[in-house]
Amino acid sequence: MNTLRVGWLYFRIGVLNELQYRVNFFVQLLQALIQVGTGLVMLSLVYSHTTELNGWQESELLTLLGVQILLGGFIHTFIQPNMELLMQDVQQGTLDYALTKPEDSQVLVSVRQVRIWQVVEVISGVILLFIGLSGVQGSIGPLDALAFVFALGIGAVLVYCFWLILTTGAFWVVRMEHVLELFEGIYQTGRWPVGVYPGWLRYSVTFLVPVAFAVTVPAEALTSRLHWPTLLLALGFAALLFAFTRWFWRFGLRHYSGASA
Amino acid sequence: MSEQSPIVHVRELTKIFKVPEREPGLRAAAKSLVRRKTRDVRAVDAISFDIGSGEVVGFLGPNGAGKTTTLKMLSGLLYPTGGEAHVLGHVPSRREREYLRRMTMVMGNRNQLQWDLPALDSFELNRAIYRLRRDDYLAMRDELIDLLDVGDLVRKPVRNLSLGERMKVEIVGSLLHRPQVLFLDEPTIGLDVTMQKRIRSFVAEYNRRHGATVLLTSHYMADVEALCKRVIVIHHGRLLFDGALASLADEFAAYKTIGVVLENGAAPLDAYGEVIHRDGDRVTLRVPKVETSRVAARLLSELQVLDLTIEEPPIEDVIELVFAQSR
Amino acid sequence: MSAQTAPLTEEGRFRSLFDFYTTMVRTAIAAQLQYRVAQYFYMLGMIAEPVIYLVVWSTIARQHGGAVNGITAGQFAAYYIVWTLVRNMNIVFGAPFWEWRIREGRLAGDLLRPLNILHYDLAFFAGWKFVVVGLWIPIAIGLSAVFHPDLHPSALEIVVFIVAIWGAYFVRTMFQATIGMLNFWTTRGAAIFDLYMATEMLLSGRLVPLRLMPGWVQTLADFLPFKWTFGFPIESLVANMSTRSLLLGLGAQVMWTAIGYVLFRFAWRAAIKRFSAVGA
Repeated sequence: MNTLRVGWLYFRIGVLNELQYRVNFFVQLLQALIQVGTGLVMLSLVYSHTTELNGWQESELLTLLGVQILLGGFIHTFIQPNMELLMQDVQQGTLDYALTKPEDSQVLVSVRQVRIWQVVEVISGVILLFIGLSGVQGSIGPLDALAFVFALGIGAVLVYCFWLILTTGAFWVVRMEHVLELFEGIYQTGRWPVGVYPGWLRYSVTFLVPVAFAVTVPAEALTSRLHWPTLLLALGFAALLFAFTRWFWRFGLRHYSGASA
Repeated sequence: MSEQSPIVHVRELTKIFKVPEREPGLRAAAKSLVRRKTRDVRAVDAISFDIGSGEVVGFLGPNGAGKTTTLKMLSGLLYPTGGEAHVLGHVPSRREREYLRRMTMVMGNRNQLQWDLPALDSFELNRAIYRLRRDDYLAMRDELIDLLDVGDLVRKPVRNLSLGERMKVEIVGSLLHRPQVLFLDEPTIGLDVTMQKRIRSFVAEYNRRHGATVLLTSHYMADVEALCKRVIVIHHGRLLFDGALASLADEFAAYKTIGVVLENGAAPLDAYGEVIHRDGDRVTLRVPKVETSRVAARLLSELQVLDLTIEEPPIEDVIELVFAQSR
Repeated sequence: MSAQTAPLTEEGRFRSLFDFYTTMVRTAIAAQLQYRVAQYFYMLGMIAEPVIYLVVWSTIARQHGGAVNGITAGQFAAYYIVWTLVRNMNIVFGAPFWEWRIREGRLAGDLLRPLNILHYDLAFFAGWKFVVVGLWIPIAIGLSAVFHPDLHPSALEIVVFIVAIWGAYFVRTMFQATIGMLNFWTTRGAAIFDLYMATEMLLSGRLVPLRLMPGWVQTLADFLPFKWTFGFPIESLVANMSTRSLLLGLGAQVMWTAIGYVLFRFAWRAAIKRFSAVGA
């Protein structure tokens, strides 16, 4: 498919560009270590005062942390750079460069940029995940592993849609960047099982800012807590959101081109 | 003739920068992590001059010549590597409070005022910083606002002003404490012609009223011509010429260039002057200054001329000539 | 020399400094009010962090008969809601922004004026605080309605709290400014700042009330400045400290401000030497 090829080409260029800045690797490594370190400190503190949190054991929560960092790394590598660039383009009127290319504009603005060194974050998340899994009772069946990968994919789609919808909002509300700044703070809610949050907060991080689905569902798959209805709900939600995102993007584009000076 | 010591006294002033050298490529990059290779760049090379009270001196030279570096050493922002500099009896690099109160440096294209607020508010801040008495401050402020004609601009947030307007209010802000020495680093850069003229006439007026000593750098000949009787030419960090502006032009730029577009570009033109450039039908000639109108008249009458322009030699060429001749 | 070229007479030093601070505070308020929408979003994003901590610890408390190490859910709520105010109040000119200051050329201008550079930051951010407190009140009311904090401070505690949040501000300014000097030697200071911030988070009482940390961490925190920028101001209001500890705490803040300032002076001198050697 052409879309895949375009994506791959951009990825290669982005990687080659970034690889020049070798120092970034060490900076990223340090930042990933700090992030993992503080996460672990918090976890061990919590578990020094209790044996289980909302039904989750320490290793299970470690797994959850791993998934959150893994997905966070994915967001910082692939999603955030593109959305920030898109926001900038809309604000400065330079989006036209992307729009006049023959490829589908949504694909283009979603894959243009890559911050490859953030992959270190993804890797650290994966490592944490495996450490957590090694302590979890009960083995992971192939079905669970499959469900995990599937759920992770759904989570990535959900987060992508969320970001794109918000960034598309920049077509109307030019100073959208403040809203995006909230994301990092809210994403931290993904470090803890969604059950600890009071009702209204739980719904917010599930549907409003789909952090709970994105992080908790894959973690539930790995810790044998995942129920089929949840997975199906997540899938349905993702499909719906994706369709809406696409429509909203087109809608925003029409508005942008119409109003363009 | 006053017997005072010079306001600015510079002897063998030198500034050497260590610039890291790196070759492209992976191997060199890896090696550079372990061993740093540096190169010495003599930005300013043993220059000496004295400037008296109330003089307006222009520092001329192409980009990278060392003008800004010299000014930064005289204002105290850079330590000299060698030689000495005294301004108003102070060593600038010590940045003594007494010195800072009596000088100011204005850098083109740099913002010192509060961005979101009217300039008047920033002026108040400067009043407190320079410990000015209220009546002195108000008198000076109003005089500057009047001279630069920015009365209606000072109540607008600085971010809403155009580049030229911003430059004018920045200048007001830097002169509130009535400094005796002004360092102006490319003050007209990026401004349109009208604004450049305004600022030049302002500097001249300020100098006339308050007897301040002004050191001005520019790569616009027009700035220097309008303001400075004396110029110092700097190139590659070295002082090449220090004297009256008039003699600089006479000595080193005793020619003009004539550009013609001819019907027949292949015609021989050596009889008219030195051909320095030929591009199809466009030819550029260099002629001695005194002969310019005569040659132009001959060209127009003797050849089929479609277009003719007469230009001053660009400053870079003058400098090159100064440099070449001083060897 | 003609009379016109003589320098203008000076006004008194303290009078001028006072004028500077009042003018700067005023201009900071005027400037920041223009950005109140952005400010609000920033503050809203900031409450995610303490809310998460609060929820987690309240859950644990409820699971263990109502309290963790003697801290009830209501007291956690009080701690973390006051946290939001203290967090906003100890925002200073952060270490990474020194890089911006150097790069944009503002540092050169500041160096050419006869005023210690710290005054600019202290005054500006102090002014900003007044806007912040105004914006914070509705947030505090909202959080209190949801989380029911258990808070009954005495008059003395309120007074000490108000002094302590400014003490925290001064301590933090000094140390952030000192760390910021690293920017004169490298543009990659980001990694070191992150390390510093992580240490601050763990040892200041920002992550959890220090009482919940293992003993050796608490001892360590007593010998570092971080506790006085965060944990102490919060606890002065919520933790029923004795008068003696309250006053000792204020004294500690004074001491750490002085230490921080001395460190800054050393670092600043070295930084300016470097700046003046290599230029902007």
